[in-house]
Amino acid sequence: MTLPDDIARLEQEAKKRIGSADSLDLLNELRIEYLGRKGGITAILKGLGQLPPDERKAVGAAANRARAALEQWLAEAAGRLEGAGPRGTIDPTLPGTGQYVGAVHVINQVMGDICRTFYGMGFETAQGPDVETDYYNFEALNFPPDHPARDMQDTLFVEGGRLLRTHTTPVQARVLETRRPPIKCITPGRTFRNEAISTRSHVAFHQVDGFLVDEGVTLADLKGALVAFCRAFYGPDIKLKFRPSFFPFTEPSAEVDISCILCGGTGCQLCKFSGWLEILGCGMIDPNVLTKAGIDSEKYTGYAFGMGVERQALLKYRINDIRLFFNNDIRFLRQFR
Amino acid sequence: MEVSYQWLIELTGVTWSVEEMARRLTLCGTACEGITPFARHMDRVVVGEVCAVAPIAGADKLRRATVAIGAETLDLVCGAPNVAAGQKVPVALLGAKLAGEVEVRRATIRGVESLGMICSERELGLSDDHSGIMVLEPEMPVGAPLAEALDAADYRMTFELTPNRPDSMSAIGIARDIAALARVRLRRPAVRLRETAEKAADVISVRLDDPAACPRYAARVIRNVTLGRSPWWIRRRLMMSGVRPINNVVDVTNLVMLECGHPLHAFDLDRFGSREVVVRRAREGERFTTLDGKTHVCDPQVLLITNGAVGVAAAGVMGGENSEVAETTRNILLEAAYFDPPTIRKSRRALATQSESSQRFEKGVDPNGIEYAIDRAAALLADLGGGEVLAGMVDAYPRRIDPKAIALRPRRCNDVLGTDLTAAQMKEILEGLEFAVEDGDPLRVTVPTFRPDVEREIDLIEEVVRILGFDRVEDARSTIGPLFTPLHFEDTFKDQVRQVLTGAGFDEVLSHGLADSRLADLAAPELPQLRLVSTASAELNIMRNSMILSAVPILGHNVARRNVDLRIFEIGKVYFPPTPAGEWIEDERILLAVTGDTPHTWREKPRPHDFYDVKAGLERLAEHFHWPALEFVPQAVSFLEPGASFRLRVRETEIGAIGQLSVKLARQADIKQAVWLAEVATGPLLPLSSRVAAYEPLPIYPAAPRDLALVVDETVPAGDIVGAIRTAAGELAEDVSIFDLYTGKQIEAGKKSIAVAISYRSKERSLSSEEVEAAQQKVVAAVKKLFNAEVRDK
Repeated sequence: MTLPDDIARLEQEAKKRIGSADSLDLLNELRIEYLGRKGGITAILKGLGQLPPDERKAVGAAANRARAALEQWLAEAAGRLEGAGPRGTIDPTLPGTGQYVGAVHVINQVMGDICRTFYGMGFETAQGPDVETDYYNFEALNFPPDHPARDMQDTLFVEGGRLLRTHTTPVQARVLETRRPPIKCITPGRTFRNEAISTRSHVAFHQVDGFLVDEGVTLADLKGALVAFCRAFYGPDIKLKFRPSFFPFTEPSAEVDISCILCGGTGCQLCKFSGWLEILGCGMIDPNVLTKAGIDSEKYTGYAFGMGVERQALLKYRINDIRLFFNNDIRFLRQFR
Repeated sequence: MEVSYQWLIELTGVTWSVEEMARRLTLCGTACEGITPFARHMDRVVVGEVCAVAPIAGADKLRRATVAIGAETLDLVCGAPNVAAGQKVPVALLGAKLAGEVEVRRATIRGVESLGMICSERELGLSDDHSGIMVLEPEMPVGAPLAEALDAADYRMTFELTPNRPDSMSAIGIARDIAALARVRLRRPAVRLRETAEKAADVISVRLDDPAACPRYAARVIRNVTLGRSPWWIRRRLMMSGVRPINNVVDVTNLVMLECGHPLHAFDLDRFGSREVVVRRAREGERFTTLDGKTHVCDPQVLLITNGAVGVAAAGVMGGENSEVAETTRNILLEAAYFDPPTIRKSRRALATQSESSQRFEKGVDPNGIEYAIDRAAALLADLGGGEVLAGMVDAYPRRIDPKAIALRPRRCNDVLGTDLTAAQMKEILEGLEFAVEDGDPLRVTVPTFRPDVEREIDLIEEVVRILGFDRVEDARSTIGPLFTPLHFEDTFKDQVRQVLTGAGFDEVLSHGLADSRLADLAAPELPQLRLVSTASAELNIMRNSMILSAVPILGHNVARRNVDLRIFEIGKVYFPPTPAGEWIEDERILLAVTGDTPHTWREKPRPHDFYDVKAGLERLAEHFHWPALEFVPQAVSFLEPGASFRLRVRETEIGAIGQLSVKLARQADIKQAVWLAEVATGPLLPLSSRVAAYEPLPIYPAAPRDLALVVDETVPAGDIVGAIRTAAGELAEDVSIFDLYTGKQIEAGKKSIAVAISYRSKERSLSSEEVEAAQQKVVAAVKKLFNAEVRDK
């Protein structure tokens, strides 16, 4: 028999006796017997000094562990015995009472997360109408007169000669017209397209577009800002890929992919095994857009970007049907409490 | 746009793998979206030679083909009409996996055991042609793997091009980007043309009636062409780009279009009907039959190529049936033209047709690329069809379109990009794209006419960064812009409403804002409707003029799914047509709705949601934003049930309505349970909202609580009683609240019992019991007088 064996035996015995104790008095006696000044565990600890130094450490640790375990079992047993007394009528497994708290719609949650990230980067919010003029939605943004987006097939028009904005960048055109640089804004809001409602498309969706106009704004600033946003929003290890693209209101323009948030870039179902997810469009504001708003495009430059809120929500929660957002089934909504 | 990988290699000489090519092109804006191996379905497929074809007893269409595949000979059952002895054909052996999930298995058909299959182009995944078996070139070696014989170690690269880049709609266009990226020279196929002594100009002339619509029209004449099948290398390239091979003449025009992006058209000169090409607008009602057999009734939007009398082609869109190249064709009139892009777009729309040609013309082809395109095609026709090319090109080009010259300031380029490039680096990139660059500051850049999209300095800067690569622009690490941007109250207002209402147990819903006018006619017939001009669905034909129009379908959707106990809210806009003054109004609203029962817990039994649950939501908002008192004015509201319908007012301003959803509307969404709701405009409330609370020192002196039980007529509003008590008790009434309300058996019919707790307190002193009693007596006297109240002893 070695000392550690003795401790283990003592521990087992104590556990059994504490477990079957039926009064607080008995528990107190057991405490004294094992942990009191003359108790079994205490005795072992006291005797440590007489052990050879190489055994001392192991035995001491085992005895201390046993003491901690016993103390916990004693406390649990005391709780059990007290709970059984006259005041022990609380059933902690019953649900707490009080008001049910509702859920903010998941799209507004994601939009809020995006906006707050940009607030942290020094952007303010600007708003504009959903029912827009052709001028702000297209012309002020350098869309040529025969651009396909201006077609009835893609855009919803209302009686009276206006249209439902197809992006929130018209707010940029409105702000540029009324304010002077420096301006640093995001334009969150609802946008519309003339599309059939399906799992992947809807008549309406939400966007957060943003822009900065000042002296000396460069493509490097745009890249830096988007890297900062994506890392803040998706995680510090996110990588970005800028693919040159075309938008009428920016030049140069690019589409931005981030490394897949699920697989990290090795390839999976979510990123269709490409390792990348397309999440936003961006570019340097076309000088024509600044000029149309009466801003000197030689003195000032600017960048702009835009992203779909539904797209980010679909990715974040791996939702595969965009219609769920507008169906408003309460069982869906409450999952996002 | 689809192009063969090998073709791009041939045009550039780069040694990139197909993946590398796709990646680098994508990163310069020529997005490659797909790579498909050309020989995907050629495993276990070999070249065979048909030795004999024999009928099979009892089968009309099936025949037994004896096919040599090297040392071995196989008997194969074949249903294709074109199988014939002496042909070289692709033979799929047992186990071959063909396109369309077809796997070749041993089969016995009409007593003939077939140990393989002779394939069509479709079965090999080469094209959609399944009219017969594919017939191979006679020189292909019997028994060789088909992939080798067809030189099919190739990939089809699929490009998703942006609309601003017409130049990249060709193999040379894409190869040009590759050459710029790899810093190599583009290897355009050389053209060696032998011409006859006879001049084309002696045979044909061209007249432009509308030079704005057709700035240039060039033609060549090729005589004595032998029509036939194109060699495999041409058919292969066409198939790789998804174009069906037809005959050598049509194939050559298509090949040249795919190669350099310039659409060409070949007319049968003998069927042309005259010796003069006249390009003019169609006349109103002029009929014209395109080569797909469709007859169009044209209008002047359509630009026609005519023979002076009738149309022979819809310019830039499609040739005519009357002058189409057919099997009998010997002499060719070859067209290479430049049409005004918007003209072709309108023309194509008016004809409701589009083609590979129109797609290129409407984006803008190179007006000065015509010589190369037409000479390349003529040389190929001479080579392949044995044609004789008449001397010269007939060229109607009244006003030459010259390349643009643009100044590029190297410093500006760096200022926009945030880079530190030298002028020489910029020059190298632009020259790689075949721009001519003259040294100096600024650089003088001449933009080739195949780049109509490049018009300004910024367009050149884009070209520089496109080829340089966005990854070569270093991400800024510090911020730029204003030092401070405000957080507007309007922005946080909605978030605060969300916090308050979710805290009060309401779930937020979100609608798109489009609505059904029929529902609006019922819900708010008095409100004007903003109608959509066109819409995908008949149920979404207006913008909502009331939040009710979205709430009713949402409630209906849930109730139909047995989600019957609901407390919801929405923050959103309603929309109206312009006012007579031309003002467009969008109003922000908050909608609250409850239906079904309150939650059933182990402690609390459920009860039906009612008016007061909706009111509670408004009260939480009123408390949070410190709104003035809400007033409830009984009044009919079109979407509310009569008798349970109130207008909401704050300081005389109407802000909305509250009550029970009219049963008529609820029925529209199949809702049979009571729905209580409120719609409130946020516009008037915003200026009344504040999150600054008024601080008052805590009371020093004790309060004296008194209760009062009254019996009054049921119609007396509780709020009036509370108001009267406050007035009567004056400053001493610190708080007046209702703590019980009873109607029923214990009380006379038409009466209610109402119990009020009054807390008396002074800020200056402890109140004596006499003072409190005196105040209480005033209160009792007031309620007796004002409401004829009976005061009950407690």
